[in-house]
Amino acid sequence: MKKFFAVVKREYVQRVRAKMFIVSTVLLPLVMSLFGIVPALILRMDVGSPQRVAVVDQTGKMYGHLSQALSNDAPNQEGSNANRAARALGNFILQEVAADNQSTEQIRADLDQRLRARELDGYVILPPDFLAHGQVEFRNRNPGDVFSRRVLEQALNRAVREQRLIEAKVDPKTRLELSRPVALQAVKIGDTGAERDSGGSFALVFGVGFVMYLAILMYGQVILGAVIEEKETRIAEILFSSVKPFTLMMGKLVGVSLVALTQLAIWGIAFSAFALYGVGVLAGRGIRATIPTIPFSHYIYFALFFLLGYFIYATIYALVGSMVTTAQEGGQLAMPIILILVVSFYLFLPVSRSPDSPFSFYVSMLPFSAPVAMLVRIVTQTPPFWQIALSLVLGFGTVLLIMWITARVYRVGMLMYGKRVSIPEALRWARQA
Amino acid sequence: MSEITVKLDRVSKSFGEFTAVKELSLAVRPGRVFGLLGPNGAGKTTTIRMIVNITAPDSGSISLFGRKIDAEVQDRIGYLPEERGLYRRMKVVDQLRFFAELKNVHGKQVESRIDEWLARVKLSEWKNKRSMELSKGMQQKIQFITSVIHDPDLLILDEPFSGLDPINVELLKEIVLDLKRAGKTIIFSTHQMEVAERVCDDICLLNKSEKIFEGSLRDIKSSFGRNSVAVRCEGGDGVLDDPALVSKLVRHADEAQALLAAGADAQVLLRRLIDSGAVIGKFEMIEPSLNDIFITKVTEAT
Repeated sequence: MKKFFAVVKREYVQRVRAKMFIVSTVLLPLVMSLFGIVPALILRMDVGSPQRVAVVDQTGKMYGHLSQALSNDAPNQEGSNANRAARALGNFILQEVAADNQSTEQIRADLDQRLRARELDGYVILPPDFLAHGQVEFRNRNPGDVFSRRVLEQALNRAVREQRLIEAKVDPKTRLELSRPVALQAVKIGDTGAERDSGGSFALVFGVGFVMYLAILMYGQVILGAVIEEKETRIAEILFSSVKPFTLMMGKLVGVSLVALTQLAIWGIAFSAFALYGVGVLAGRGIRATIPTIPFSHYIYFALFFLLGYFIYATIYALVGSMVTTAQEGGQLAMPIILILVVSFYLFLPVSRSPDSPFSFYVSMLPFSAPVAMLVRIVTQTPPFWQIALSLVLGFGTVLLIMWITARVYRVGMLMYGKRVSIPEALRWARQA
Repeated sequence: MSEITVKLDRVSKSFGEFTAVKELSLAVRPGRVFGLLGPNGAGKTTTIRMIVNITAPDSGSISLFGRKIDAEVQDRIGYLPEERGLYRRMKVVDQLRFFAELKNVHGKQVESRIDEWLARVKLSEWKNKRSMELSKGMQQKIQFITSVIHDPDLLILDEPFSGLDPINVELLKEIVLDLKRAGKTIIFSTHQMEVAERVCDDICLLNKSEKIFEGSLRDIKSSFGRNSVAVRCEGGDGVLDDPALVSKLVRHADEAQALLAAGADAQVLLRRLIDSGAVIGKFEMIEPSLNDIFITKVTEAT
């Protein structure tokens, strides 16, 4: 055991001390927060220059509705986030242009000239038959401004609907009732009959899956490199006169994994701080974010299945590392691993649709897909405890089995430098050695 | 320590079709320097790997310190393989500490041993440098320390001097002889016979997977007798080429080494040279070199 800890210590200390680790640990939260902050800043930047749009209302009824629909204090009926952002962008200053006594061509020519003189940014002519056909043209200097176009379009939609309702003689109270938005709330009926919100748990499963994916993407290659390191530096033979290959491989796996967990923990703390700050800011603006209530046992399951998922894939990288002689070779061989990972991630969908089906059962027992599938089952219709336990035992058993094979392949492969192993050969080695 | 330190009993190992070691038996006595000699591909490295438990023999048995190898015995062995390296980005001191820990040596004594050994190979000021900053020769000395840092009773060195300059070869050779004086047993594998000749007490000659000789260096040399002559002379070429007198002649830069033919007398050779009018600068009876013995033995065996 002491030798195992010596290996773990070396892997951990050497990596955590490395400049790369420190730089990447600090840089990622920084980059992430930049990604969070910069777009918001950019969106805010344009608020100061509203667009001057002329409206020629040939129907004589629309201008009032339109300007109300566009004004910011109007109730935001289709209030998605993107919409809100777009409205901030598409800040309009409307001005009505009288249409009397002039032909459409005349008005157009007149407005075109004002456009060119930069007195206007755009104009809309609402033809007399607008309410019937809904055809309208928005002329502006910058047709690429999709945001403004969409905002204007939606405002026109609302204005037309409003006018049509008035013409259908619907009283104002009913009009308001008719356009009230829907709020869909998903409520789970648990076995005990208690109702709880599973949307939040789902997001957490997704989060766990994503972090797992991230950890494997980043640290799979590191594990592969760690396994190859002694081969490339030709230290393997010295080590093998002191330590069993299995101890060495487990030490490496655990050492590198501790590095990964350290980094994830640092990021987790940074992210939480950022999120808490964000919740505070939102709360200040009157938007409440609630933290989903999840039973305590689920947190333990999240942790266990995260570790299982991480280790299952990490050991495959170790196995690949034991078969190859250089890191580049290993990188190519490791590609299918990512594929399996992605496929097992998408099993999330069928399992969440019918978490009690035989398919879901088998998928949540299979070590490669178990981490995501079982978590989905746990938050939807928690399966009996024996199933969760069996899935964990199978999974961690597979981890040990793969490491055992890895150690054997490594030991034999080490004796033949410079040669890449075929998979049948590797299996034969695993049996003899 | 009176029993045999390393004992191999009819040990064989093959890789597929290829037989690396065939029916090899040998005994390494405690406190001796044992040379495992032979050309490249003779099976030296495979034999050593079986002794340190990296590969298992197909048949036969190996015992160390009178027992089968286990984790505890492994910690009493120091092994410097021919394929050796260091962690490139690791500091020398961390590196040596790691290797000591892998042999279950912990704590304060490690630190003092690291300082002692670094001083001994004259690398103290490199203690906190990464190994990638060291020259190849320096790295090789650090590698040597990794095999002795835990004070092993049995030290196994596979081609320890290859690639070193003469000064460092001398330095390491002195250390090896000091270790022997301290009662350690050393197995020394090389294909450089001249090196082995200067260090080994006992030798085992391997050729094509098989043992062709085992015994003490003194014994084998005296058994061959003094049947070579080192000659430096002007003229007399025809005499040295006479197959009745000289079976083999090797010319070096300024002298020749003549192996006497069976039954030929050195005195006869000397007289013939004088009679032929050669001017003799040197005429000396010499022991056969290990290299000569090896070649003779290999020829005898086939």
